[in-house]
Amino acid sequence: MTLDVPARVQQLRSEFVLALDGQGAVVQADPVGRRLGLEPGVRVPDRLDAGSRLKWDDFFARARKGSTPGWELCVEAPEGAVLVRVGGAPEDDGRVWLVGSLVPQEFEAVMGQVRQAMAEIADMHRTAAQQQRALSARNQELAELNRQLEDSSRGMRVLHHEVEEKSDSLRRMSEVKSRLVSNVSHEFRTPLNSILGLTRMLLSRVDGDLNDEQEKQLQYIRRSAESLTELVNDVLDLSKLEAGKVALRTGSFPVAELFSALRGIFKPLVPESGVELVFEDPPPELPELDTDENKISQVLKNLVSNALKFTEAGSVRVRVRPGSQPDRVIFEVQDTGIGIAPEDQERIFEEFSQVEHPIQRKVKGSGLGLSLCRRLATILGGELSVESEPEQGSTFRMEIPRVHPEVQEMDRLDQEATQLDPSRSPVLVVEDDRQTLFLYERYLRGSGFQVIPARSLEEGRRKIETLRPAAVVLDIMLDGESSWGFLRELKDKAATRDIPVLVVTVTNREHKARALGADEFCVKPMEREWLIRRLENLGRYRGVIERVLVIDDDEVSRYLVRKMLADTSYQVIEAEDVHDGVRKAQTERPHVIFLDFVLPTGTAFDVLDALKIDPRTRNIPVVIQTSKQLTEEEVQTLSRESTSVISKQSLSREVAIARIREALLQGGLGHGIEGSGVEGRGRAEGA
Amino acid sequence: MDVETLRDAFLDAQLSGDRRQSIRVMDEGLGCGISVKDLHLGVIQDAQYQVGRLWERNEITVAREHVASAIAQLALAHLYPHLPRNAANGWRVLLACPTGEQHELPARLASDFMEMAGFDVAFTGADTPESAVLEGLRETDAHVLALSITVTHHWPALERTVHGVKAALPAVRLVVGGRAVREREQSLAELGVLCSAERADVLVERLVAELGEGGRS
Repeated sequence: MTLDVPARVQQLRSEFVLALDGQGAVVQADPVGRRLGLEPGVRVPDRLDAGSRLKWDDFFARARKGSTPGWELCVEAPEGAVLVRVGGAPEDDGRVWLVGSLVPQEFEAVMGQVRQAMAEIADMHRTAAQQQRALSARNQELAELNRQLEDSSRGMRVLHHEVEEKSDSLRRMSEVKSRLVSNVSHEFRTPLNSILGLTRMLLSRVDGDLNDEQEKQLQYIRRSAESLTELVNDVLDLSKLEAGKVALRTGSFPVAELFSALRGIFKPLVPESGVELVFEDPPPELPELDTDENKISQVLKNLVSNALKFTEAGSVRVRVRPGSQPDRVIFEVQDTGIGIAPEDQERIFEEFSQVEHPIQRKVKGSGLGLSLCRRLATILGGELSVESEPEQGSTFRMEIPRVHPEVQEMDRLDQEATQLDPSRSPVLVVEDDRQTLFLYERYLRGSGFQVIPARSLEEGRRKIETLRPAAVVLDIMLDGESSWGFLRELKDKAATRDIPVLVVTVTNREHKARALGADEFCVKPMEREWLIRRLENLGRYRGVIERVLVIDDDEVSRYLVRKMLADTSYQVIEAEDVHDGVRKAQTERPHVIFLDFVLPTGTAFDVLDALKIDPRTRNIPVVIQTSKQLTEEEVQTLSRESTSVISKQSLSREVAIARIREALLQGGLGHGIEGSGVEGRGRAEGA
Repeated sequence: MDVETLRDAFLDAQLSGDRRQSIRVMDEGLGCGISVKDLHLGVIQDAQYQVGRLWERNEITVAREHVASAIAQLALAHLYPHLPRNAANGWRVLLACPTGEQHELPARLASDFMEMAGFDVAFTGADTPESAVLEGLRETDAHVLALSITVTHHWPALERTVHGVKAALPAVRLVVGGRAVREREQSLAELGVLCSAERADVLVERLVAELGEGGRS
């Protein structure tokens, strides 16, 4: 029975059957075979790919002889290459049956996917390997870089060391040079002064007349000696500046006065060539300056004489005007001289530099003037600059603060010192150098000590009369004065003997200092920790500096005062009645007395009277404290007799300390200083 | 241990599907001082040719052939980190198989040879349509396009790609390698490519010679 298979089912088949003739051409084909392009008339090998064609002859020869299963062939079908698995068997009539399966094609498709996945994995592997290679290359580069860095860092260290050595030796050389210059200059000045003096004497014809030729020669000698003196002076000034030995002497002055002095100096020096020297009047709104007048004058003198040197016609004008910022002033020296080429405008401020110009060769100069001026301007807290055009003239401009920064700082320090901080102990620092004073101030800021500055012994003496410091720091190298005498003074007087004194010097004079009674000694420079530790030790060693006598019958009141002053430098002595109070005042010699108005055996007046009689207790300041509502008359009387009156209700730690300090100040420290009294200084508070 | 012995051992491993054994063979070769190039050409590529011949003799099926290819890929991947490399020469190459060409392994081999010679190679894989080739060239800014072709059936696709690239990117140099080259010397001359060769090593040699010793100018 033949099976009648419908076409739609034929579509589902994956096998095909062909009948071939003896040459391999298709004789009959089923629908699947035809779909592969193997239609009747077509030679099968013609539709195979190159590889399969090689297989065909072998396969077909076997199939003609007998049953041959299991060969794979690749058919180039209209829809593409198709892999088939075929078998062949001969027919008696010479035909050959060919049966094939499309199943391997499906496998092939799946294998294709797998192959794709495989290729992708291989790709990823390569990428990973490449990245690893790049990383290791980068690593090597980094290692190399690291090595180079280490090398160069080693090199830097060596270089740094060399630079340090060089700079050390330069510093030493510079010090030697400064000393040499300073010494040699001094040595020069003496004979130069002799030459100048003798020349002047000869020129004044004291010892007989001179002929014209001799006079001319003497004038030459004088001029040479003068310019040599100028040079030596410049060199000396510069070496002083370099060594930092220049003291700043500030004071307030109107610019008009400075200009008028300069006008006087230059009057005989203005050349007869017709160059005009004008000091313009300062603008009227310009306030007085508070800085170093001498240094400004020195700069202006230098600038003006320079300007005169390089100006053959026209004028030299000096003026002052407000600066670019508030509280700064600008001095200008403007000339109509030869001017300075832009490339030289910075060089002229270097030492020993002079610009090539015919006039330069004519005029004399050390080449130090402008360098000196610039340094002076810096010391004044400002700067010096130049604006110039060749053949048009130059303008030198110095802009400085109207009030020297150190003066401002000092004012602040003085201002602070006028208000004693009740929580800190005052330390009188006698020191002429502002910078050093600022240093002490910085050192003691935040410590338990407050700096009271005194920039001269005179000021120190004045201050110690009006306040009692916890200690004195005394700089022995005060400019122009000997502080040893001051130390002796302090230690000789009973009133100040027990104020500890810390002596500071630049050279070791400990023996002398101790002999004169110094309590502590130090060679500069000192360290902050050391200073604070010393000051604290001095306080402890001396014991409490101020003794406060509390005369009050109420135990709680005494307790309160004692508690209030517990962690201060005041020692509290207590007395319960008039008799006890007066006795203790005489024996214990307190610095201040806190006196209750009402006592068991009398009133405050009895105590005050008793204190007045005895010279030992007469000047001890007394603070009356009371809880009684006082009459106007009582307040008046008490105010005359005592330093201050406070009510017990308003007594607090701060008030107590403030009153004690006030009392100590007003009482001239409360003992022994002549001429100090308490008359008329009383005040009432809260009563 | 000579190359033929290694090749036979590798072929055995491929046919029996023994991945580990194939790697052992590679390591043994490296251990004996056989060069990576010889392992590529004398062992892996030669074994692949043998696999093809075995299929032609109907001794193995296509499925077996696929397993063998996968093992060859694995072996190449194993060798990749050991490639001896020249310094980078500055030339960038895009390597591709034309549309329909599924034989990736020969192209992979060529890619490794180019890397050894100092080329910077990007590989697009088997069966890359013309549009993807152009895109790859633009993306990598390659100086050279290398096309790998194994089966002559795909020659028309290769020609289309060559013409397309010449029209769109005339500055790109073209080279062709693979088994199909043997049968198409004439048409290659007509296509006007820079050089061609059947074997990967020969192709790279020719390419280097054509580009000049001086590297990328």
